[in-house]
Amino acid sequence: MADEPTLPRLTRPRARQPAVPAFFATAEGRKRARSPDGHHPPSGSTTSSDPAVFSSDDDPALDNYHVHGRRKKRYVGTWFDQHPASSDSADSAMGDDMRPSQPLPKPQKRQFRRQLDSGVWMGLDGGSVTDTDDGIEMAPPPAPRISLPAAPHPLFSVEEEMARGIVLECLDNGYEVIDLSQKGLCSLSNAILEPLSGLTPIPMVNKDVAFEQRPPSLRLYLSRNSLVQFPAAIANLENLTVLSLRGNKLRELPPSIAALKNLRDLNVAQNRLRYLPGQLLELMAKGSALGELRLHPNPFFQPKKRSYCRWGAPEYDQHMSDPEADVEKSWSGVTTIIRSRTPVQFSDSARNILSEFQIPVSDTPLSSSPQELEQEDFWQLAVPKAVLAGQSQSEPQPQPQPQQEESEGTTRRRSPRGVPSLFEIALRAAVRAPQAEQLSSMLDGDDIASHLAGVVDRAVHLHQMGGLRCSVCGRQTLNPVTEWLEFREVQRTVVKVIARDAMRTEVEKSTKTASNSNESWVPFMRWGCSWNCLPHKAVEPAGLEDRARLLLMP
Amino acid sequence: MAANGHQSNSPYVTLVSSDGLEFVVLREATSVSPTIRGMLRGQMIEARTGRCEFPEISGVILEKVVEYFHYWYKNQDKKDVPDMDIPVELCLQILDAADYLGLDSKPPLRQLKEGS
Repeated sequence: MADEPTLPRLTRPRARQPAVPAFFATAEGRKRARSPDGHHPPSGSTTSSDPAVFSSDDDPALDNYHVHGRRKKRYVGTWFDQHPASSDSADSAMGDDMRPSQPLPKPQKRQFRRQLDSGVWMGLDGGSVTDTDDGIEMAPPPAPRISLPAAPHPLFSVEEEMARGIVLECLDNGYEVIDLSQKGLCSLSNAILEPLSGLTPIPMVNKDVAFEQRPPSLRLYLSRNSLVQFPAAIANLENLTVLSLRGNKLRELPPSIAALKNLRDLNVAQNRLRYLPGQLLELMAKGSALGELRLHPNPFFQPKKRSYCRWGAPEYDQHMSDPEADVEKSWSGVTTIIRSRTPVQFSDSARNILSEFQIPVSDTPLSSSPQELEQEDFWQLAVPKAVLAGQSQSEPQPQPQPQQEESEGTTRRRSPRGVPSLFEIALRAAVRAPQAEQLSSMLDGDDIASHLAGVVDRAVHLHQMGGLRCSVCGRQTLNPVTEWLEFREVQRTVVKVIARDAMRTEVEKSTKTASNSNESWVPFMRWGCSWNCLPHKAVEPAGLEDRARLLLMP
Repeated sequence: MAANGHQSNSPYVTLVSSDGLEFVVLREATSVSPTIRGMLRGQMIEARTGRCEFPEISGVILEKVVEYFHYWYKNQDKKDVPDMDIPVELCLQILDAADYLGLDSKPPLRQLKEGS
């Protein structure tokens, strides 16, 4: 081209551009020297009988090593007379022919960009490029790319590694029974269980039956380990049908357990549970899959008195538990019936409990005898008594005024109105932070905000456990401020549907499952996202004698 | 409890951050915060001038708080409101400010006591 001798102004600034890496500039110069149209494939000399062209991507790590203007080396021909056709341009045949005769422009400044490439470029800084130099280049870059056999999850304990092996084996073979019982597990990382959601069972192949992929029905046995926390990943195993956590050290079940809609058999006996999450009731509605539920023994909270009020209970249940699904055909399973509820524990955002009633903290060491909690009648309005009495603990108000009672009833439950509080929004942002677990320690140093550290901690914990929904309005919350326990009797219900012509009769029969009276009432925890989210209040019965009549002793 | 004269002064109040940034906000929108509501009532200087200074809250944070006031004001009766966006790096300071301004999940005690 004409620009070589006559237009120095064009070439000089290009060579001097500071932003361009040195070898880029020289490569360009070399390309121009060798062939004017470097980017086009050679036209005349390449024929179909030309030897094959290989690129030099023997190291996968080089694939994403993009530097401007740099090309992969290309090798032509057989390996024994192999030499690079051209290290930076595509004209292979031409480069071969011309290189010995036409010395390349001398690269002035060389920068070593990367250790791996040093073999490629080292010979070039001297001056002329010869074929022997290129021959040396051919040697595969040696030492530094020995990649250590990466220990995949160095944080796993020995027991977890063993569990991981079992899980992987089940995955490989399509086994649906994952037996991790008696493995001495103290914790189980989510990373171990997560792959199970992708397990595909081997389909049954029978004669004359169409080949069909069926959804797996996983059975996970984690009994007799030392798990302290419910492995959160379990809640994502949608196809789990049997889950045994018997004989662990669990203190609570996460609300997200309600996501296991296909669960048929749940065993949480012999743990340290003081209560169950209210969300578990979603699995215990009529028509749900859960047929077997083993809860005892566990150190559950117990009610102070076992008398219960029949009046108001159905109404309460209707509002507080999920609407029961209509049963299409005969069904048998586990249901509950409300017996009593505790007063509501009110707290402020910073987790200071403002009400007289307090649910004992579940972290306290277990005493041998189960703790007993007081109860409240269904027609009593939940109010923070100590606060209403003007912070004085003296006399709880006998007749608390009715609070803003929304008459919308059930429609209120499913469609939360308005916006969450700024506190809640900020908490949601906090738990999404990548370093969420360190957030509370950042607050701890701050003398003003240190009281919020506990709140953040709990929010992060709730988030890891799959989040929490308000039991009343259904809104997501990370900082429930009202909590109360419902005592419910677990029973086995059999529904028989007798369809005769157009007539459809349901026969329902419930039997108690508890063998002794201590086990008959099970506490379920309920959470409210604001002080307006409270247990439903039944209408007060008319007279005192009515009340007396309605109190029943079982 | 308060003379109502000054409250009808202006539909706007001015919130001042620690670094001197001033935000002029609808009075009604700030009423979600019991702290600010309390400041604007009674014989306080704030109530007379309609100007609240927050030496504890920086301008960046107060801006987010003001954004929340508008977000609340606009959406208080709507259903299924999308969450307001909060940058992660500000969340702890906003948490602190929300705690200070009473923008949490409990209604003020007064409201509970009075019944409705």
